[in-house]
Amino acid sequence: MATIEQDFAPAEPGLSQRLRRVFFGRTATIIATITVVIFIFVAAFAPWIAPHDPMAQSFIAINKPPSWDHWLGTDQFGRDVLSRMIWGSRNSLIFGFLSPVLAALIGGTLGVLSGYFGGILDRIVTRLVDMLLAFPELLLAILVAAALGGGFWNVVAVLTVAFTPGFARVARATTLSVRQEPYIEAAIAAGVRTPVIIMRHVVPNILAPIVVLMTLWAASSIRLEATLSFLGIGTQPPAPSWGNIIREGLANIFATSWPILAGGLAITIVVLAISIIGDQVRDELDPEIN
Amino acid sequence: MSAPLLNVESLCVEFGPKSAPIRVINSVNLRVDAGEAVGIVGESGSGKSITSLSILRLVPEPPSRIASGRIEFEGRDLLAMPKSQLRHMRGRDIAMIFQEPMSSLNPVMTVEAQIGEAIMLHQRLGRAERRARVIELLRLVGIPDPESRLKAYPHQFSGGMRQRVMIAIAVACNPKLLIADEPTTALDVTIQAQVLDLMKDVRRKLNTAILLISHDLGVIAEVCERVLVMYAGHVVEDADIRSLFENPQHPYTRGLLRAVPSLTDEHPRLYQIPGSVPQAGSIRQGCPFYARCDLRQDICARAMPAMSTHGARHVAACWATQSMPEVRSA
Amino acid sequence: MNQPIIRAENLGKTFPGGGGGLWRTAKPDVRAVDGVTFEMTRGETLAIVGESGCGKSTLGRLLLRLIEPTSGRVLIEGTDITTLSAAEMRRMRMKVQMVFQDPYGSLSPRRTIAQLIAEPLQVFGLVKGRRQMRERVAELLTQVGLPPAVMDRNPRQFSGGQRQRIGIARALSVDPSFIVADEPVSALDVSIQAQIINLMQDLQQEKQFSFLFIAHDLAVVRHIADRVAVMYLGQVMEIGPKRQIYEAPQHPYTQALLSAAPEATLNKPYRRIVLQGDVPSPTSIPTGCSFHTRCPLAQDICRTVRPGLDRVAPGQSAACHFAAPNSLGAK
Repeated sequence: MATIEQDFAPAEPGLSQRLRRVFFGRTATIIATITVVIFIFVAAFAPWIAPHDPMAQSFIAINKPPSWDHWLGTDQFGRDVLSRMIWGSRNSLIFGFLSPVLAALIGGTLGVLSGYFGGILDRIVTRLVDMLLAFPELLLAILVAAALGGGFWNVVAVLTVAFTPGFARVARATTLSVRQEPYIEAAIAAGVRTPVIIMRHVVPNILAPIVVLMTLWAASSIRLEATLSFLGIGTQPPAPSWGNIIREGLANIFATSWPILAGGLAITIVVLAISIIGDQVRDELDPEIN
Repeated sequence: MSAPLLNVESLCVEFGPKSAPIRVINSVNLRVDAGEAVGIVGESGSGKSITSLSILRLVPEPPSRIASGRIEFEGRDLLAMPKSQLRHMRGRDIAMIFQEPMSSLNPVMTVEAQIGEAIMLHQRLGRAERRARVIELLRLVGIPDPESRLKAYPHQFSGGMRQRVMIAIAVACNPKLLIADEPTTALDVTIQAQVLDLMKDVRRKLNTAILLISHDLGVIAEVCERVLVMYAGHVVEDADIRSLFENPQHPYTRGLLRAVPSLTDEHPRLYQIPGSVPQAGSIRQGCPFYARCDLRQDICARAMPAMSTHGARHVAACWATQSMPEVRSA
Repeated sequence: MNQPIIRAENLGKTFPGGGGGLWRTAKPDVRAVDGVTFEMTRGETLAIVGESGCGKSTLGRLLLRLIEPTSGRVLIEGTDITTLSAAEMRRMRMKVQMVFQDPYGSLSPRRTIAQLIAEPLQVFGLVKGRRQMRERVAELLTQVGLPPAVMDRNPRQFSGGQRQRIGIARALSVDPSFIVADEPVSALDVSIQAQIINLMQDLQQEKQFSFLFIAHDLAVVRHIADRVAVMYLGQVMEIGPKRQIYEAPQHPYTQALLSAAPEATLNKPYRRIVLQGDVPSPTSIPTGCSFHTRCPLAQDICRTVRPGLDRVAPGQSAACHFAAPNSLGAK
């Protein structure tokens, strides 16, 4: 048929191609991706990788410098620092990803619902978000820990609550603008059910900023866990986490500096790697740049 | 023949890197005499706006650049002119108005201040004189009760009124050429009629030449006596309006005239030009209309036809019709 | 006489101005649509024309209940849709579909063409399984003149005209009895407009749906419509068979609108009547006849008494105290 427009633009990169671009687009991102993967691998297989029991104390080998048996030396109780670092990565990483993911789910849902439906729900959510955003996360965490006591799950809960308003706000703002798009009205006119409209036409179009925010919070979350554990209200000793390895190391700094060095370096590397990936995700998903 | 006011010769504009340029304007010739009204008609991507922007060298460089050609205004070469001197000509000799009157006006300045600013760029007037001139201009463009509207802000005007203010600013310094890029596209049809009437009026009173860019041949027919038809960066036909309507030579022009529904006739089906408007730079060889043309021949795919003459002021770039006896269009 | 497919009775919509309260001054209400009554029969095309802000798009959305009316009723095949529950209304949408103005915004960007076209079909359970769905989508794409092979592509890869074809295929998928098209060609290039107009005309002839065509371009309307309704400030000023509206317009606004349309021809069909002034704001609609502020024929009665939409010729009604064929001498 000669009467139609037969020219079509070339095919665009698919999702898998774009994901590949996110993680392998630049040398820096490749290195960052590999780094994060290694850390996750180590955390996942800690029991098999760690050379020693992280809790096992030995009074004959305290504050040892690195040796063939203890690559990162031992601490003031004679525990193997490398093993503690490996086991500690579990707490730190789970913590780093758990709170942002939970917060994204809760905050994203609240934000989308309040942005889509508006009205009284929107007013309540907006007020709550404003209220929570007035508190710095760290302060909020310390307050709750003071009231409920420390411990892993309490801190996860606190940071989730602290992160939720940020996600809710971003999700609400983007939903509001997507809600105005003609394709939403088109879906309503076609007879599509509201929940389907939200899942199919709203959520995919607001995902980009949420994912970017998640990578940002993942980095902060690891840092915050370390801070809280350092302050003694995060992961409780003797269970290891990077934060309390540094804390215990600090008390013992004149005897050996290896625990502090290892903990600090691990946090720096992971936070940096996640931030680099986050930047790349943002660049890739930003339609202005694409 | 007198010297033209504006003479553009084989203008080429390119986008993108120098190593792999995309040519968006290809050997465009355009001539506007003093006091004449000329239209450029074309669809999106035809290059009509870029042509008009090139005249004052307003195409953003980079990514685009004027690759070759000559642009002369009253015999002076605009392309060779330093930017500072060119800026001096903008507004005084050549003024422009654009499609969106709201975004072309500064929302936090009063109408008086904006028109006054345009006057002050090229004329030295006292405060009272300037105000008098602003009122005179507002009256010229048909804004009722201009004295009371001096302190109004753009958002207090309707779309049609804003376009009138834009025209007032444009003609503030009695330019010799007014370039209007889709000036009525954002306006309603009854307001469009008012603005087109105003442009004719301004031209008659000030003897300003007009270069009107539009996608709507009807709009151009209202104001202009000559029209250039552009397609994919080429001028494919250049003729007096009457000659173009009565005897269109290029198959694209013919198609365009037949594809537009009319207020009077009721053909059961509209003529449709097959295919779609090509992307900028996608055609590197031959006639850009080749793929959609119903008169195409082998040669059309290989070489761009030169302009051939069809009457006193009528040229068209088409291999098929250049040798044909005059055909009355359907 | 057979039952009308759609009937609007005294349909009105006022958008609240908002504001008010303690700190803000209240904004006035916007009366977008005011007392519109008409009906359409099967296979008929009614065009709504008017300038921006005349309420024609709002009217189209009221007919599909995408906006809740403030007054009046809409009957689709005899059912008053303004009283239907949300679930009942959703089922009703199988009969009424819409084609949108913006071919770029009205297709969800992260869906494929097949997913977009099949969405209404799946909503109403009209296709079972992936294979049947793809067969039906291929059929629809062919009907609108696109090769079925493109169904797994993303809307971004299509031009404006191609996207409008996709939007039409989507509306047609459930075989509706009524379609509203809101300025479906005004965003398209001139040479593409004709393709889409022809396509819609062919499809309507084949499927016999009733077609409400909202437009500002009078030439396009003359080409596609059976009947024409002219709107101004939310009210129908004149309605009637196409030929009568174009040959013997009775309302001064219709005549002014026709005479203002630019035509690419040497012999102008209408003598130019340039209306003075702007369209008044819909927040402060003039008393009496809403057109009196711009009407060359306005008398005292026009400023005080609002004229009814009265029959002036067979099938033709005009809301004017001084309705007469070509009363302004435009023709």
